Amino acid sequence: MTTIFFCAGNAQKKMAVSEMKMVAVPAGNYQPFFITPNNKPIPVPAFKMGETAVTNAEFLEFVKANPEWRRSKVNRLFADTNYLRHWKSDLSIGEANKKIYNSPVVNVSWFAAEAYCKWKNKKLPTIAQWELAAKAAPKNFKYKSLTDFILDWYTKPNPKVLPNVKSTYQNEYGLYDMNGLIWEWTFNFNSFIGSRDSRGNDEDELKNFCAGGALNVADKSDYAAFLRFSYRGSLKGNFCIANLGFRCVKN
Amino acid sequence: MIQVSKKGPLLKSGILPLLLMLSFTFFMFSCKTNSGNNADESKIDTILTGTVTAELTTAPNVPKPLTYTSPKRVMVQLETIEKVMPISDSSEYTFWTFGGHVPGNFIRVRQGDLVDFTLKNAPESKMSHSIDLHAVIGPGGGADATSTAPGQSTHFQFRALHPGLYVYHCATGPVPLHIANGMYGLILVEPQGGLPKVDREYYLMQGDFYTKGKYNAPGLQDFDETKALAENPDYVLFNGKVRSTTGPNALTAKVGETVRLFVGNGGPNLISSFHPIGQIFTKVYMEGGTEINRDVQTTLIPAGGAAIVEMKMQVPEVINLVDHSIFRAFNKGAIAQIKVAGAENPSIYEKLKK
Repeated sequence: MTTIFFCAGNAQKKMAVSEMKMVAVPAGNYQPFFITPNNKPIPVPAFKMGETAVTNAEFLEFVKANPEWRRSKVNRLFADTNYLRHWKSDLSIGEANKKIYNSPVVNVSWFAAEAYCKWKNKKLPTIAQWELAAKAAPKNFKYKSLTDFILDWYTKPNPKVLPNVKSTYQNEYGLYDMNGLIWEWTFNFNSFIGSRDSRGNDEDELKNFCAGGALNVADKSDYAAFLRFSYRGSLKGNFCIANLGFRCVKN
Repeated sequence: MIQVSKKGPLLKSGILPLLLMLSFTFFMFSCKTNSGNNADESKIDTILTGTVTAELTTAPNVPKPLTYTSPKRVMVQLETIEKVMPISDSSEYTFWTFGGHVPGNFIRVRQGDLVDFTLKNAPESKMSHSIDLHAVIGPGGGADATSTAPGQSTHFQFRALHPGLYVYHCATGPVPLHIANGMYGLILVEPQGGLPKVDREYYLMQGDFYTKGKYNAPGLQDFDETKALAENPDYVLFNGKVRSTTGPNALTAKVGETVRLFVGNGGPNLISSFHPIGQIFTKVYMEGGTEINRDVQTTLIPAGGAAIVEMKMQVPEVINLVDHSIFRAFNKGAIAQIKVAGAENPSIYEKLKK
């Protein structure tokens, strides 16, 4: 219902935001980062992934069409007080923020990201999908290695103004900015060792104690992956963070 | 292991509980016979008598000795901050810190205190962070309770059971990177009755750093994973910067005074051979614990460990405090200084003419 209303009522505004290009990611096997007896390589069927992260301008369309996701109306269970705090108001990113219209939307919760993808008949990528897509070799890359590039990004403070999408590198699948711009939500961000139970089991120790966990990871020297998994492990679904955004997939 | 695999039948027959009881009794017994006065929890006063907020200081300063004599609930809040700061005169580095400095804020509590601990992660942070305080008995030394995303905070409490000087550090994976970027500090648990009074107390913490560029290479330097894995640092520093504690920034003291240093070693890799050039440690609380060694020239401070050392200032001089793995002092920055002012004492030291 909301979708129909949106299409009819905001056709003109929608023109300004072109439809996200979806890029094909071929089928592959994902080797889980944390190795346990139950964590076998996961076969991932081919899927399509958003060429870039969802931008502020795109997310604004979503918020316009879905009043329950406006900053002043959102349920605190689904988004904490930082939700869209960088916007001027409910329905305006703000003239002063012009530079970030085309930058990834951040300060969005998992619930908000998932709702956005659903609205587009898409989903958030699973960890397996995201990691597989991000593994593709970069095109025209000036860094020694991808890990090197990621570590360099990780060890620099957040920039004052978040750059636009497509401002880092494109990988061989055609995906932009898989690293180097923002962190991205994944569908199963807090269950990365296969268990849905996030507390009180033996496997859980691996994610909380990464020192101990170091004995059980796929590649101990992959510090970039370590950082990603630690970051995901500290999240809750309603957290809204200044360097955390998302992109959608279509299976 | 055998007990576990035969759990069913053993439990049924009641043998396992018996075994457990026996081993527990033995454990209690062995504890009692081996423990020193300070480690025996049954002798610690644990009834809380109010709430205080811990004084937190930045190195080289140390919070004032505690004046209360019965256990308190002690409120402590640390904030993790990622920050570009100079590591030498020409180089900058993106430090990850507890409180915006390397080392992190010094925390001082008393044995028996219940520490109410909040970890905040600054909203501007790129990383998640956590804390493992070696003074904590409990899962991960607090790390289990404090995995903290940017802009969020976490909260736990612990009882300070054992007196001593303890390292704290970030325990978020990859732990070595968080430590290599400067995420460590010290927490002192004063014994009941406090430490003996001295004239001055200071805070020093050693750490090794690994950068893409060489020592003092100009500009913002990135972390070098290859050098870190090879344990081959470009910098070995006291208090996070070349010359942080020398020349105009040297520690000061006067002839006749006793100086106590709380010295930690954050690592991540190197062990410190901590030595005062032109002085002798009159007392060393070895490894930051309760055993005291006297008349020591050089004391080992392990990575992730600490020591409390004391010296009596006898003559005017500049005491160079070094890691006596001496290339580190000459070439990598591992020097701090105490400037001692006062009258000469020829009966102790005199430079003679030919």
